Amino acid sequence: MAYSEKVIDHYENPRNVGSLDKNDPQVATGMVGAPACGDVMKLQLKITDEGIIEDAKFKTYGCGSAIASSSLVTEWVKGKSIEEAAEIKNTAIAEELALPPVKIHCSILAEDAIKAAIEDYQSKNDG
Amino acid sequence: MNYFQLFGFDEKFNLDTAQLTQVYQKLQKSVHPDRFAHSSSQEQMLAVQKSSMINDAYQTLKSPLKRAEYMLSLRETPMPNEQASFKDNAFLMRQMELREMLAEVKFADDIDAAVFEANQVLETEFNGLYKTMQIQLAENSAASNQAACEILRKLKFYQKLHIELDRLEDLLFET
Repeated sequence: MAYSEKVIDHYENPRNVGSLDKNDPQVATGMVGAPACGDVMKLQLKITDEGIIEDAKFKTYGCGSAIASSSLVTEWVKGKSIEEAAEIKNTAIAEELALPPVKIHCSILAEDAIKAAIEDYQSKNDG
Repeated sequence: MNYFQLFGFDEKFNLDTAQLTQVYQKLQKSVHPDRFAHSSSQEQMLAVQKSSMINDAYQTLKSPLKRAEYMLSLRETPMPNEQASFKDNAFLMRQMELREMLAEVKFADDIDAAVFEANQVLETEFNGLYKTMQIQLAENSAASNQAACEILRKLKFYQKLHIELDRLEDLLFET
């Protein structure tokens, strides 16, 4: 199956790969997995007291589309408020990367990773 | 007629795979095109359809994870969408660690030993979950089927890890 140029670009030069200190109270971690293909995705956001995402890192074990989806998401969320980030839809990710139908679940995984990270942030800050 | 009935097996998770293969060959013989050379085209078509069903049944029953999934669908256990994300944090953290372990294998001083060790870690964790799933499937209550379904989703991650390790071995030992 042919990958789009954008997928290949993110796959070969992934942006923001790595980890943030998970013990930092400003850092939220979202972990999601896809049983169908065994992909695992970790997305970490560093969120200011004003609720702005100032840094994002990811680590994904999976296919090219999963890596590209998470790499793209880290670029998109930086500088956004958590409310704006929560609005990112998998359809926008799939469209940007021109994902074929069989790879749509990779974009769903990336959307769910943002949601999971935001939930983690909220549970950290409520407690 | 479900796949178990087609093969004349009880609807149980544990089955004799040697016997399964024997029955498969016998069934396939009974619908072989040579036997229908002089039959009507309708009978020929039915035989082809039957043969394809026997194939599907064999492939499903032979693989333990497919068999478990099939049994759960026969029991009408509600299963989460294949595409739905999995969010068990502790489990996913462990999956990340295992992926990192596999990524480290090629940098080990003794690669043989590292592959062997990785394989053992995966086997041990897989078998632990697998045994629990067997027990839950045998119990066959709504709650145990639901639990089996959750374990099955986890086992699929381990199946993927096994494939990754096999690929790694091919890469490391082919030269």
